[in-house]
Amino acid sequence: MSTAKPPYLQSSQEWLKQSALLLKARPTTTRITTKYKVLSPKDIEAKITKARARRKIRSKPADGEPKPDTEATTTPIQPAATLILKTFDDESGVCLKYKTDKAFEVGRLIGSLGILGRSMAALPNKPPEELEVPAAMDTAVGSGTQTPVPEAAKGAAAEGKGQGGGGGGGKKKKKGKK
Amino acid sequence: MAGKHMSHDEFFAGLTKLFETTRSKSHGSVFLVQKRLSYDLSASSSTSTSPTPQKVADDPLWDLHPPSPLPVLIRATAGKSKNHPKEKVKLSTAVQPDALEAFFARYAEVARGGMTGLKKRDRTRRKAKDRKRKKAGGKEGVKG
Repeated sequence: MSTAKPPYLQSSQEWLKQSALLLKARPTTTRITTKYKVLSPKDIEAKITKARARRKIRSKPADGEPKPDTEATTTPIQPAATLILKTFDDESGVCLKYKTDKAFEVGRLIGSLGILGRSMAALPNKPPEELEVPAAMDTAVGSGTQTPVPEAAKGAAAEGKGQGGGGGGGKKKKKGKK
Repeated sequence: MAGKHMSHDEFFAGLTKLFETTRSKSHGSVFLVQKRLSYDLSASSSTSTSPTPQKVADDPLWDLHPPSPLPVLIRATAGKSKNHPKEKVKLSTAVQPDALEAFFARYAEVARGGMTGLKKRDRTRRKAKDRKRKKAGGKEGVKG
């Protein structure tokens, strides 16, 4: 059951990598939204009951009887917060998201925002951590384009597999054989 | 547009307050947005019709290599917007390229201090483990 909503990326590293690529391709139209959301106990309870109802509906035809839920009722509900990072490009519609509820990630994530902020400001990448990624991007764009349309770069960023460089390599191989 | 942005100090003070209100209400959201500030702030008063003067240059990739580093716009919003537009708080500030590092250092500090609803590291899990261990130990003792 996949909805129209874009999936969340698995790790913050991946989010940073993809976002850096997207920003590189579209530095002016890409924005990063950080959403810090606090759910009150009431909200959480509503969410849980909703989920439970859904589970019951799904399990009914299979099991016949809905299982009694014991675990959820015993634990007291505390206010919970989530942090969602979203990189969105207006023009191409590319959307990259990462979600976490861990406090220790905040520092690192804001750090990534700082790194991405540098490329927004069109400053050179200073931190050495992300060097390989932009380099791969460069080769992909350089090898595959005589007509430098931003769509190409966008496609690479949108596909989001980090294998844009691999594709470029394949092309080169072919040329060499001929 | 130039008057809209506030100084970094004001921005951080406002942001801290935003986080505090969400904490005291124990529900709600804070949105933080960052994007390249592509229109010229100083020119907005005199020539307001051209928001992106560089775009006129006949180059499809004009924004990939701007002649000079551009400032970054940071926005923070919170509160209801649908039915109570007056309750919505909006903050925004422009960060000049040379101030980016200092700004984000402070930004991280404020965020870390403000996002208190997120889960703390390990602690609870470790405690639960300890409890389990104790229980297991107790049972073994009974058996022996």
